[in-house]
Amino acid sequence: MANVIEVDHVTKTFKVHSEKVNSLKAAIVARGRNRYEEFYALRDVSFEVREGEMFGVIGHNGSGKSTLLKCMAGILQPNAGEVRVHQRMSALLELGAGFHPELSGRDNVFLNAAILGMPRREIAKRFDEIVEFSGLQAFIGSPVKTYSSGMYVRLAFAVAINVDPNLLIIDEILAVGDVTFQQRCLEKFVEFRNEGRTIILVTHAMNTVKEMCDRAVWLTHGVITGEGDPSDLVDEYTETMLGGNVRADDGSIRRGSGEIQITSVELFVNGDTEPVKRFRTGDDVTVRLHYRAQQPVSRPVFGITIEQLGGATVTTPTTRDAGLLPDAIEGDGTIEIALRKVPMLPGTYDLHTSITDFNLSHVYDHLQMALRFDVMTGKPYEMGGVVTLHPSWHLA
Amino acid sequence: MSLRTAVAHRNLLYLLSLRELRTRYRKSVLGWAWSLLNPITQMLIFTVIFLYVFRATPPTGDPSGLKNFPLYFVSGVLPFNFFAITVGTAIGSVQGGAGLIKKVRFPHEHLVFSVVIAQFVTLLIELLVLTVAMFIAGNLLLPWIPVLMFVLLMLALFTTGIALALSAANVFYHDVNYLWTILSQLLFYTTPVIYSPATISLEPLRVLALYGPTGSFITAVHNVVYDLRMPSTIRLAQLVVLGFGTFFAGAWVFNRLSPRFAEEM
Repeated sequence: MANVIEVDHVTKTFKVHSEKVNSLKAAIVARGRNRYEEFYALRDVSFEVREGEMFGVIGHNGSGKSTLLKCMAGILQPNAGEVRVHQRMSALLELGAGFHPELSGRDNVFLNAAILGMPRREIAKRFDEIVEFSGLQAFIGSPVKTYSSGMYVRLAFAVAINVDPNLLIIDEILAVGDVTFQQRCLEKFVEFRNEGRTIILVTHAMNTVKEMCDRAVWLTHGVITGEGDPSDLVDEYTETMLGGNVRADDGSIRRGSGEIQITSVELFVNGDTEPVKRFRTGDDVTVRLHYRAQQPVSRPVFGITIEQLGGATVTTPTTRDAGLLPDAIEGDGTIEIALRKVPMLPGTYDLHTSITDFNLSHVYDHLQMALRFDVMTGKPYEMGGVVTLHPSWHLA
Repeated sequence: MSLRTAVAHRNLLYLLSLRELRTRYRKSVLGWAWSLLNPITQMLIFTVIFLYVFRATPPTGDPSGLKNFPLYFVSGVLPFNFFAITVGTAIGSVQGGAGLIKKVRFPHEHLVFSVVIAQFVTLLIELLVLTVAMFIAGNLLLPWIPVLMFVLLMLALFTTGIALALSAANVFYHDVNYLWTILSQLLFYTTPVIYSPATISLEPLRVLALYGPTGSFITAVHNVVYDLRMPSTIRLAQLVVLGFGTFFAGAWVFNRLSPRFAEEM
């Protein structure tokens, strides 16, 4: 398959001045002894992205992801090396860059689409589609300064996605907007990919990379430390990132800011009062999370993830998905998740817990391998697979 | 960026200019009248000083025979203000476009061009009012419009060149902005707006007023609008050289510096 973008031995340095010189006087005074240090944001980075790929870029903060993105988007010029782009590209580094608060939504749609390089006739043709996608039909005539931040982002994304690029570069956009909107964005990305377009995704959302990307690169301090299968890469990355975190005696790994923490996790079967570590397929199971909040935490989102020993995720319910949104939580308490007729098939499973803020962007507490449990043969029984869908067979 | 990308983004240029025009007088009661009130106030002040404090005689238009200081002043101050305000606004508009420049790839020069276009439209509206005033005073300007437009287009090219160079330099050294405030004042008084070059006795100052960059344009406008006379061929040639020369020099500077904007901002 043809390459859509080639990043060829790109190096980008920034001058870090001990004192920023941006007045003439300072420049004249400091002439000849203008002290600065060369900072390597990217060092000899090479990779290519092929047509129709969904490509992920991961790395910790300050690893050079954003610089790489800006070089690919043509906003920054590399000091050495070259970026070759072979198709119509749209880079979304910030939604709504160039929106003018005093202008109406309609005017801003036209202006923003023009900034992204769309010809006038095409904007006019797609205008209705853009407005419909944003869901802001009723407000399109009002100045955008009257919009809520959610509306603002929706309109901006609607414009960006309708510019119709063959190559889309996205930076952390999934972190904004409400759940419905995020879902719609993801759907749009899948639609894009199915149409054979190329997407480059720079994100902290490791699950998105794992699930959606075909390939990924991992940047550390401006150098590529890994390239290839996103699943392996993300695991490796996560492990490295967790290196400094607390590993308890029972093998669980904790990270997060710690204002609120899960203190223990218990499993109960069929209404019993004794906690267990095993049950059978088809049992009614209750997961009880004990938490302790050192200080009031507003609108926390609790979640659990159940993974098969091999790594396949079985389920990841959260309180936000269920619409359970406590205003604030303080002190000690418990929260229970009731699971009816658990359809998991025999095997060993790990349960992870998490507590995040409402936007899922800030992690209060993440307990990896909080509990390991076994599922034993129950009813129904199936030899393969992870779960049973309670099949009933009929010979017609 | 190349000329081709600039042309491909002409729609952006159109919309940016429109934005410039639409948002300028938002939230003001008088709106567009403000663009006329400023030169009118200046006219009143300088008329009082010129006629009643210094008791000078207004210049006589040759061959129009017009002898009217306010009209002389306005026909000079409108194109001069266009030049000074456009450059000042363009400097701010590139700096103000930082959010955009850092996040989106687009032809940066459109930030400057849109200011020039918006200010030029304003100038044309102001000149329309002046044409009516001239007609009432007895100067029939209509047949001279094509020559006037030619002079103004050269002035626009010249202005664009200066605006490109200074707005790019200002990204690196913010002093340019402050320097311009002083420089534009200096230019105002060395340009024949409040006086006629003929009245200057000091030879170097007279030459500067007649043939200095801004003086050349304003003198040509006076020739056409106040005197109703064709500027000399040498003068017209000078305007073409000044217009195109400055434009290309400014564009060269801008193109050299603009790839580094995103980094510097």
